Amino acid sequence: MEMTVKEWLDESRKKLQAGNFTEADLQRLEGLLTKPRQMVLYLYSKSTNMRSAIAGWTWYDPTVSYEPTLPSQDAPYDSVIEAVNDGWRIVQFPRAELYQFSDVDNTYLGYEFILEKSISDR
Amino acid sequence: MIDVQPTMDDNQVMDFVSRGSVVLEGVVSGEFNGQCEALAGGRINEFACTPGFRNEVLLHPKVAGVARSLLGRNFFIPVTAHHHLYEEAHPGQTWHSDGLSEYGYGVNHLQCYYYPQDVTLEDGPTMVLPGSHHRLVDREAIAHYGDILGQVSLTVPAGTVVLTHYGIWHKAGPKLNAKRRGMIKFSYFRNSPPKRDWLIESEEIPPYANRERHPYVTEVESYRDLACRQRTWNWLCGVDITPEVSHGAKLFINARPLSEIANI
Repeated sequence: MEMTVKEWLDESRKKLQAGNFTEADLQRLEGLLTKPRQMVLYLYSKSTNMRSAIAGWTWYDPTVSYEPTLPSQDAPYDSVIEAVNDGWRIVQFPRAELYQFSDVDNTYLGYEFILEKSISDR
Repeated sequence: MIDVQPTMDDNQVMDFVSRGSVVLEGVVSGEFNGQCEALAGGRINEFACTPGFRNEVLLHPKVAGVARSLLGRNFFIPVTAHHHLYEEAHPGQTWHSDGLSEYGYGVNHLQCYYYPQDVTLEDGPTMVLPGSHHRLVDREAIAHYGDILGQVSLTVPAGTVVLTHYGIWHKAGPKLNAKRRGMIKFSYFRNSPPKRDWLIESEEIPPYANRERHPYVTEVESYRDLACRQRTWNWLCGVDITPEVSHGAKLFINARPLSEIANI
């Protein structure tokens, strides 16, 4: 669980009294006061199963400027479950009943998992 | 009438059916590539109708030979073209297909990219997704897609022409430098019913020999792709018994039949 500002204050008072308050403690406070921003990761899984292989991916990171970066053929994770294990939270699961199913034609990339990570310092 | 000979055989036509593109590396002469160096960006219809562009690019035996193979006799030659010119670094376009989808089992429209200069990965090459011409999508609803397994960056030598199925997903890739990167886009169209009159060794029509699954394709999608490829193959051979399913209108047929081209 992330520390609250109140907890930081309680801990910092003790550190001041003990004489071991440092610059690192101030950096920690700065992190706590920075407004968290949402980083978004789209993962296109080869099935609705979170352990399936990944067919495509996209990052949206509002904390970095929009600069050209070379395309890649190396997926950031082998599966959705691996991304979750790395701290990503799923905000949208692909729901089978929402897919248009004709069994004749292919359409969009499937299956679209949308994940987020909250970042408060960089 | 100008005589254009087909250049593709059964195997190469089957490859096109699967991939949705043919890449002809360095076919246009260095001399003509050089003449495109000063070309401004944007619409270049006048340039597209010059004898130089027509003879060196549009009617180049290898380029027109692919069009003849896939579109049949007396296909339409473009009288318009667009020069997509990038001279600064940029993050790249989003994935899209052009115009309306023109989705269907037939091959009626080849959209072509001609590169008058070398294109490296840092120069913002056009990217295409092989096999995506068989996917019916809203072009604006794929704009959030990023890297896709199997995507191809068209890093090519000067003088390369890439002929694509109109519906293929493509985009200008991210460009890391300020080097001039131009691409002249134009289209050929079908003007006769489909018929297996490309290079053949026997009159007997071979069944479609399936190609590998594209890396981004799921298990069930691969079966649909196979069915779609078989339909397209049969349609191209003129033996398809189901009506062609076609979505979207052909909006931009700015072209003349090959038989009329000498009179323009």
